[in-house]
Amino acid sequence: MFIQALIGTALIQSWPQVQAANQPSFRFVRPPGSLAEDDFLSKCIHCGKCGETCPNRCIKYLGMENGIESLDTPYIVPREQACILCMKCGDVCPTGAIESIPREAEPILEKVCMGKARVDRSLCLSWQGKTCGVCYRACPLQDVAIRIGRLEQPHVLEQCVGCGLCERSCIQIPQAIRIIPSHSRRQKV
Amino acid sequence: MQKIIAKPSVIRHLNKLRWLVLATVFSILVLLPFLHLYQTYAAAHAYDLLYPHEKLIYDSMEWLTSPFVSDAEQDLDAIKGTTWSGSLFGLQLSDPLAVLSQISASLSIYWPFLLTALIPLAVTVVLGRVFCGWICPATFIYELNDTLAGWLRRAGVPLGDKEFDKRLKYLVLAVGLLVSMLLGSIVTAAIYPPAIIGRELYYAIAQGGFGVGAVFFILTILFDLLVARRGFCRYVCPGGALYSLLGRYRLLRIQRIVSKCNDCQKCNVVCEFGLDPLRDGFGQECNNCTACIAVCPTDALEFKIAVKDIPYQGPGHLGHDYRRAQKDEAES
Repeated sequence: MFIQALIGTALIQSWPQVQAANQPSFRFVRPPGSLAEDDFLSKCIHCGKCGETCPNRCIKYLGMENGIESLDTPYIVPREQACILCMKCGDVCPTGAIESIPREAEPILEKVCMGKARVDRSLCLSWQGKTCGVCYRACPLQDVAIRIGRLEQPHVLEQCVGCGLCERSCIQIPQAIRIIPSHSRRQKV
Repeated sequence: MQKIIAKPSVIRHLNKLRWLVLATVFSILVLLPFLHLYQTYAAAHAYDLLYPHEKLIYDSMEWLTSPFVSDAEQDLDAIKGTTWSGSLFGLQLSDPLAVLSQISASLSIYWPFLLTALIPLAVTVVLGRVFCGWICPATFIYELNDTLAGWLRRAGVPLGDKEFDKRLKYLVLAVGLLVSMLLGSIVTAAIYPPAIIGRELYYAIAQGGFGVGAVFFILTILFDLLVARRGFCRYVCPGGALYSLLGRYRLLRIQRIVSKCNDCQKCNVVCEFGLDPLRDGFGQECNNCTACIAVCPTDALEFKIAVKDIPYQGPGHLGHDYRRAQKDEAES
């Protein structure tokens, strides 16, 4: 039984089409402080220490669904479990694929760029006139990354690092605020 | 008739010590994911909300670690990672293969990571392929698998015992590094069993299921069982290839003392890597696992400090061949 289950899961995981069918729009971000995608892949040795250290258990590992290059590399799906910006993964990463960043607002804003949140106004309760504001309250960088206007309508600002706590907490189904992954470092202006 | 009595010696028991080390490393790899789960439960401060099986993990890990740590959430960060790359009380250690693959994939050197491989590198240069025999968590499984194969053979199950060219693994290493370079990603990690085992144990325990690597690992076990004895380590493993190259001029070697040898061949049979201790054929692939020392009935194998193996010394002085030759010489 055990062996069967094991082979079964692994085969299903290794089959790209099955994976694609299960998750029609697979959208993930890399852990905070990750290098740009190409650099990240060439540095990451797939050791699994980032996930093993993550206190929020948000870091998961890719199978074959994103190609052989990113097999066993870490990813975060914010809607399932979002990053709390504790920055422990960067501290343990031995390879420099995830940069070590101190847990303070300044360096995080400067260096972390997992993605950027975007509000779908046709889904957002506040933009539809029903005062909500949950995403603003979930944000660890309030008024820096996200601002609310009239009727608690969210406005995402330039500084958003893409941790995904807003997407995780959105009470709409499907979520009205999503992280658009950047897979690259913040371009300094 | 000369009586052969084996003298009790300490190095005969090194093989047991080796098994203890292998089992310890493997059980630590099993334990670490549970400790990680315990850490996350402790960090969440919500014991009452845990499921019964999670409470069981919490309680048992608390019982296990409470004598050593005061703040589980922080203190248990002391041991993290696997044998592929891990941190041990602030000391970062990495597999030299990981560093080499990273260099070939990124075509640049990241010095902090290179430094973590220095201690394993130095140990390999001095002691040879010692990681394979003494630490590698895959060796633990492969040796158990080999024991199983032995039982099956004794029960009359026909199992393959093919031999390939041992230099195949150097080709695998070279191709692995080349593919890493072309893809810009470290693919050697996907075909290197110790890295796979650490990862897959973590996936299975903390991430809810085995990943792709488990299939590959099971295939290697089947290869060992059905095609060639310890075939993966002998002919394919890229890490083993790298360690063999690094350990070519190792200082600590096992040598045969020809005056004590009785040509019984037990060392050749027991050798996991298919080497030829009986004819002084150790070479760069010997991992100083001491299995041959443990099995030798006359204590004819000993550790010596030397950079090179001694060439074939002829048949053992306690064996038939040597005595017959002596007799012939005396008669003529």
